[in-house]
Amino acid sequence: MKKVLVLLLALSMVLCFFGCGSNDDGEEAATDTFEVAMVTDTGTIDDKSFNQGTWEGVKEFAEDNDLTYKYYQPTEDSADARMEQIDLAVTNGAKVVATPGFLFEDTIFEAQDKYPDVKFILIDGNPHDADYNYRTEDNAVGILFAEEEVGYLAGYSAVKEGYTKLGFMGGMAVPPVVRYGYGYVKGANDAAKEMGIDVEMKYHYTGGFTASPDIQTKAASWYAAGTEVIFSCGGGIFDSISAAAESSEADVIGVDVDQSSQSDTVITSAMKGLKVAVVKALEAYKNDEFPGGEAWVLGAKEDGIALAMETSQFEVFTQEDYDALYEELISGDIKIPVDTDVESAKDIDVTNVTVEIVE
Amino acid sequence: MSIFYLIVQQTMFFTIPLLVVALGGMFTERGGVTNIALDGTMIIGAFAGILFINQTQDTMSGTTQLLLAMLVAVGIGIIFSLFLAFSAINMKADQIIGGTALNLFAPAFAIFAARTIQTNGVQQIQFNNTFRISKVPVLGDIPFIGDMFFKSCYITTYIGILILLVATFVLYKTKFGLRLRSCGEHPQAADSVGINVYRMRYSGVMISGALGGLGGLIFVIPTSTSFNADVAGYGFLALAVMICGQWKPMRIFIVSIFFGSMKALAASYSAVPFLANAPITSDFYKMVPFIATLIVMAFTSKNSRAPKAVAQPYDKGSR
Repeated sequence: MKKVLVLLLALSMVLCFFGCGSNDDGEEAATDTFEVAMVTDTGTIDDKSFNQGTWEGVKEFAEDNDLTYKYYQPTEDSADARMEQIDLAVTNGAKVVATPGFLFEDTIFEAQDKYPDVKFILIDGNPHDADYNYRTEDNAVGILFAEEEVGYLAGYSAVKEGYTKLGFMGGMAVPPVVRYGYGYVKGANDAAKEMGIDVEMKYHYTGGFTASPDIQTKAASWYAAGTEVIFSCGGGIFDSISAAAESSEADVIGVDVDQSSQSDTVITSAMKGLKVAVVKALEAYKNDEFPGGEAWVLGAKEDGIALAMETSQFEVFTQEDYDALYEELISGDIKIPVDTDVESAKDIDVTNVTVEIVE
Repeated sequence: MSIFYLIVQQTMFFTIPLLVVALGGMFTERGGVTNIALDGTMIIGAFAGILFINQTQDTMSGTTQLLLAMLVAVGIGIIFSLFLAFSAINMKADQIIGGTALNLFAPAFAIFAARTIQTNGVQQIQFNNTFRISKVPVLGDIPFIGDMFFKSCYITTYIGILILLVATFVLYKTKFGLRLRSCGEHPQAADSVGINVYRMRYSGVMISGALGGLGGLIFVIPTSTSFNADVAGYGFLALAVMICGQWKPMRIFIVSIFFGSMKALAASYSAVPFLANAPITSDFYKMVPFIATLIVMAFTSKNSRAPKAVAQPYDKGSR
């Protein structure tokens, strides 16, 4: 009896190995060196958000230009682990490394000196040391987005669409998330002002970028208390918020990439042009015009941000309204506060929005 | 008032998985085997169940699909627990180490398998939640109670309560329950009167696997739209519930309601008018269940009645 059991166990394990092992990743087989590398931050390549957007850009560019490419995922959330993966990428022949996420700021600060012959594309940040002394060498470029502009678009369109009770849930109070949030408040305010109405806004940072039942409960309680739409601003927390929205028959605004395919509750998404940014930087690299030492900020002017209009569920807010507003953003007439302007969303100068900070 | 109903409904989402998994833990410990792999079992069960839903959602939906997914989760949970049973009972290995190994194995396996099986190669498994019952016929019309328990609910809630009743009955009123308990208290004595200790312990572990797997699935379904190889540590929380409930079904039920309501309150207090204005932060509500556990442990540790032979491998030769 015992022998039979042992045999069965051993067999099942062997079978499992064969069954799972046969499905090799085709893309990694071609050569041993990979010219274009990407290192992920804390999330995975399929976070349907930040890493994924960057990865799609890397993949598209590399395939169009017949370059070899590969991504590396740090084993844990630490600067050392991120550096390890950069080391590994360079060892594997990387000539250009794309790194999404502000967490890479101090890693790239070191890496740019360590590997002067390798180009670094830092998305969503600029290299600095532990004391926030910024320095970008000739082999690195920092790319930021004007999140406040797309947050503005989201807030404005939501209020124009007829929502009067809004919610904002950010992952953590890191600069990009804060900029989204401030823009959202400001946009909601401007729309409300034009329409001569008052809107309410609940504002909260969940404290992480992963889904959790607590966030689902919190979102459900907001919806039950009257909130009509929540701007889900932080990767994985979307799953929790959309689950709450589905059971409450309420709405969600997605973030970073078009999230409409993930839930019917998504009325629109505030998108960053991650792909645009990566491809732009990689093209410059390809043409030997790498913008070393520069710090890009991609906003409406550079086509670096957008609201997902094609997949939106707007009925009142039209494409024309959107285009007009986008033009206004490009012209720079609209002043939106950013993370360095005010301490808290409560301090934003607004007239028609009541912001309630939820701890 | 609607916010009150919401909190009750949300409490159920937290309570029922805790209850089911803690009852699973109770069975295995009453039989004399510690199963700290409950967290891993939940992950594996949820993985199997959600994957089943994901793969079949083109052809079926609603409660039938959920019930089938629950069967899948139970089945896979049992298989998973056999690893622990084999190492702990046949090989007489340290049960904590075996359980830890399984806890480490489960999330890694779930990610690996999800990436391998799914054509898009991602680790999250999406599912369409078609299982919510907006109102139970007849019962949902009862004022107050209907709003609390029979609206916007899942069939899993009632199954959880049913499991509680069955578990109480099995443990205290059947021959099997008596024998199982005896194997957790004094396996040598049980053996001496002809009870097959190994078989009883195997049964206990398998029940915990079944309930653990089921608990994982019913934990994920109401609170997310995809499964990401994670149950937020609820398996360990369930162990705390089991200990706090002193290995007794009804006490476990009460403790899990307490834990569940505190979890729900911590997340939703900001929408409750009089709590939102009170000078209490969400951290306080999050702490309460654990502080309560500590207090209960401190005051009851003298009378704490863990099964005597729990975590000790049974060796026929050592009587």
